Amino acid sequence: MTALLEIDGLYSGYAGVAMVRDLNLTVHAGEIVALLGPNGAGKTTTLLTTSGLNPVMKGDIRVFGRSVRGRPAHRAPREGLAHVLEDRSLFYQLTVAENLRLAAARSKGDLARALSYFPALEPLLGRRAGLLSGGEQQMLAMARALTSKPRLLMVDEMSLGLAPVIVERLLPVLRRIVDDTGAGVLLVEQHVHLALEVADRAAVLVHGDLVASGTTAEIAGRAAALESTYFGAGAEVEAGADVGADAEAGAEAEADARTGDPEADPEDNPEGSR
Amino acid sequence: MTRPRTPAARLRTAVPALVVVALLAVILAKGDYRANFFSGGGFALGALIAAIALGVVVTYRGSGVVNLAGAAVAMYAAYVYADLRAHGDLFLPPLPNPLAPIEGLVHLAGDDGFSVPHWPTSVSFGAAMGFWPALVLALVFCALFGLVLHVAVFRPLRHAPVLAKVVASVGVLLFLQAVVVRRFSTTTQVVGPLPFVDKTQVDLGLFKITQEQLFVVCLVLVLAVALWALFQRSRFGLAVRAAAENEKGATVLGFSADRLAAATWVLSTVVTGLLGIFVASVNSSVDPNTMPALIVPAVTAALVGGFTSFGWTTLAAFGLGMQVSLVTFLGANESWFPKAGGLPVPGVDLLVPLVVIVAVLALRGQSLPTRGVLGPGRLPFSPTARPWALRYGGPGLAVVALIPGVFFLSPAMRDGLTNTLTGIVICLSIVVLTGFIGQISLAQTSFAGLSAYTVASLSTHHGWPFPLPILAGAAVAVVAGVLVALPALRVRGVHLAIATLAFAVAVDKVVFANSWINGGFDGATVTTPALIRSQDTATHHILGVTIGDGTQPNPLTLVFCLVVVVALGYLVANLRRSLTGRQMLAIRSNERAAAAAGVNVAAVKVLAFGVSAFIAGVGGAVIAYRTGNVTPDKFLYDKSLMFFAFAYLGGIASVSGAVTGGLLVGGGLGFTVLNRVFGLPDEFVLLLGGLGLVVTAVLNPEGVAGKARTDLLALQRRFRPPTLADPPTLADPPTPADPPTPADVATPTTGPVASTEPTASTEPTASTEPATTVPPAASVPPAASTPVAAATPAASGSPAGSRVSGSAGAAPAVAGEAR
Repeated sequence: MTALLEIDGLYSGYAGVAMVRDLNLTVHAGEIVALLGPNGAGKTTTLLTTSGLNPVMKGDIRVFGRSVRGRPAHRAPREGLAHVLEDRSLFYQLTVAENLRLAAARSKGDLARALSYFPALEPLLGRRAGLLSGGEQQMLAMARALTSKPRLLMVDEMSLGLAPVIVERLLPVLRRIVDDTGAGVLLVEQHVHLALEVADRAAVLVHGDLVASGTTAEIAGRAAALESTYFGAGAEVEAGADVGADAEAGAEAEADARTGDPEADPEDNPEGSR
Repeated sequence: MTRPRTPAARLRTAVPALVVVALLAVILAKGDYRANFFSGGGFALGALIAAIALGVVVTYRGSGVVNLAGAAVAMYAAYVYADLRAHGDLFLPPLPNPLAPIEGLVHLAGDDGFSVPHWPTSVSFGAAMGFWPALVLALVFCALFGLVLHVAVFRPLRHAPVLAKVVASVGVLLFLQAVVVRRFSTTTQVVGPLPFVDKTQVDLGLFKITQEQLFVVCLVLVLAVALWALFQRSRFGLAVRAAAENEKGATVLGFSADRLAAATWVLSTVVTGLLGIFVASVNSSVDPNTMPALIVPAVTAALVGGFTSFGWTTLAAFGLGMQVSLVTFLGANESWFPKAGGLPVPGVDLLVPLVVIVAVLALRGQSLPTRGVLGPGRLPFSPTARPWALRYGGPGLAVVALIPGVFFLSPAMRDGLTNTLTGIVICLSIVVLTGFIGQISLAQTSFAGLSAYTVASLSTHHGWPFPLPILAGAAVAVVAGVLVALPALRVRGVHLAIATLAFAVAVDKVVFANSWINGGFDGATVTTPALIRSQDTATHHILGVTIGDGTQPNPLTLVFCLVVVVALGYLVANLRRSLTGRQMLAIRSNERAAAAAGVNVAAVKVLAFGVSAFIAGVGGAVIAYRTGNVTPDKFLYDKSLMFFAFAYLGGIASVSGAVTGGLLVGGGLGFTVLNRVFGLPDEFVLLLGGLGLVVTAVLNPEGVAGKARTDLLALQRRFRPPTLADPPTLADPPTPADPPTPADVATPTTGPVASTEPTASTEPTASTEPATTVPPAASVPPAASTPVAAATPAASGSPAGSRVSGSAGAAPAVAGEAR
């Protein structure tokens, strides 16, 4: 399998301060990699740097085998990189159809197929994007990214500002897209459990450092420790490469309590043993 | 796309439509009205305005810049073309010769005969050129010029505040005018006719028009349709609209926002230049002033089209062009036309754009900005004056100006210093209005001029004694300021700038060019007391000190100006420290948030306009007394533009910025030094002014004073080891021991403002990451809202002076982090 994205010893940040330090990460065709971590961990920074919207300080990022250093940011998208930005970056003054047409313009993309994943958008084609609801906007952002037939898709915080129900509906679509098209996906997500349900591999960033990476099963086992980092306890994950069974049980219990869905665990486990 | 229509919304569309239809019906019904409205000259003027307006709309849609230099580009293109046709020369901007310092050094060493090669002033293509080569070359020049504008000026400014972009475009306007004046002087240049059309009349049934006029009209209509198709129907247009709205979004879709913006700049300069050339050919002449002033009707037309619609823009532009000859006809022939001193009031044709602007904005405007309204953008940090600055800085500066000004400076330098002092007053008026409350006014010298003419009339014709006319003049200015404030309650940002610009242009013609008011050719005389009369050469002996050296200008004039500057400087500094000042800053940051915090936005805005006009009015009165003779040239709209630009460069949000701005203004101390010490001729001074404006705006979008302040703080921080206590001062909650000051208790409006403070200070992350105290969902850029947050500890009336300075000092650092 070829690596679509290789992040190699990356340092990146703002105003001379590295928000991401020594990050190594690869994304291959046909897999979903989840990038997890608390607020301020450097997840969005990593994606922005990959898109060329933020400069590399040290190390390198290769998209489709080409370094992003010194390359104008609009080049990689023409070769099949799609980025759903955290703020969605829709063109509110343009209609839904025009938003999609723009994405199709550069890459001779496929509007109909993108809409097939999000049929809810079809009746809204003539409406201005600014008038869509939050969930519809997120669907449009995803559909716009898909229209350009991406080989590598980066999705930043799909769940931001959305009801959990909608997130639960949107995330599995990602899996379908990957299975259909063989694209690679780098997914930044705060809903750890939902992300781990669809992802193949996961990496955890805390305060700019990569503290854990591995298959979904390996990371899922440490979900509780991971979630504790959301409140500032970064050391636990770092220290505990093998977090005790207590933590794992805690994670399951927490997941049960949160979602109230007993199916969540059995789904996690078979994936883990695979 | 269907929009719900309320009855009020229907009325808003119906009423203006009915008015326009009624006016057209009257014009069509009366034969002589019709003949004058549908005149060839009117059509040609309309075509030129339309082309400039189309260029403005294209630039705005491509890069979000309201290009006030658009009309100057048309003028410049016409000059380039005319020179190519007449002499085959492509003239170059007179840029400073890089070798000049060497020559200066050699001269200094004693060898006066040495001279370095001269910088070329033009590229010659041999003899006079034919039409087509000259046209093509001139258009290539326009395209390159558009590219240079994008690459050198507006691309570096693409994330700068809207104000910085407006200032840069003013700089371009001044530069282009200065280049043309330098090369061709202000006299009219003859332009040869177009080869393929002539002046034969064509009868179109309703009216007659010459061939060439018909040609330019058709050309503009074709261009408008082509631009519409390009923007609405092509992928390029779609991408431009997308990139203008969200650059990041366009980039991740594979579009280079940079190239799209460059393309629109080239497109707009070529369209504008083309019509500039053709209309100059039709009129057979071009001069440096007429065409650039067409920017006012052009932006008016663009405003009617909402800065997006090419169709409405073109239609409005033709209407505005064609009404000119009709209004002139009415003035000459109709008894009901307003008269002044037996003659028709001049400039009524310029009132029409103003009326249109006010009508459009009043119908479209909102008393509070809705989402996505184009505001003035992030404005520079506005510091409160530190106690030491008030106690020692102000008097110190005054003494530094006073001693040399009275005793040592040469007459020319004295004159320059006095110009700087009057400039500071005008800049102070802009600091209040734009720096504190974020409203852009390009009519400040109009307020000053109204006051100056009031002073002239009262002091000379009504015999009012010396200081009283100043108050009367300022009162007149305040009335005008409040009048302008009324539409400003519903519009903001660039729209307000356009409205005030139209006001300034109208006042120029209706009032300042009105011989009934302006005292005719000689200007209006001001009766000045001998003591401060500038022309007075008497020497005074006070306490054994001799003042005056027997030459003009009278040093006591300077003292008079200085007293006024100091008084107004303290007024503005204290305004910033007051509750009203904090309310103004709150409005500047976010009108909606300010209203939600209990600030009466409308009242504070009117007050700010009043205070600002008062200061400008006092400035106008001082200028009147100082010169002893009021002439319109000091108060025309381009002076307003210049003062605004220099105030912005100096630093628009602080008194120190106004002082810096005053040093920079044309004729001020800075220019006098350049002129007298370095021997630069006057036109060069203007040219460097325009160029300096652009360069400084690009390098330093927050102004010189602001830059100096942040540099100074950075330096302080370097020499003082950082202590942990430093960052928390920003959000330091007032200790319970802090007794509330009477001001807190007395004024009820303090309540809401002060109550926002604990929210900011008790934020758990506040002590470690000041930038995160700004809620991420806020639509204001963090830097814009930070000064308010920084100001709130001061708002609690804490007696500790150190905290005030601490909060003021920490905020630029925060702004830097957030950026």
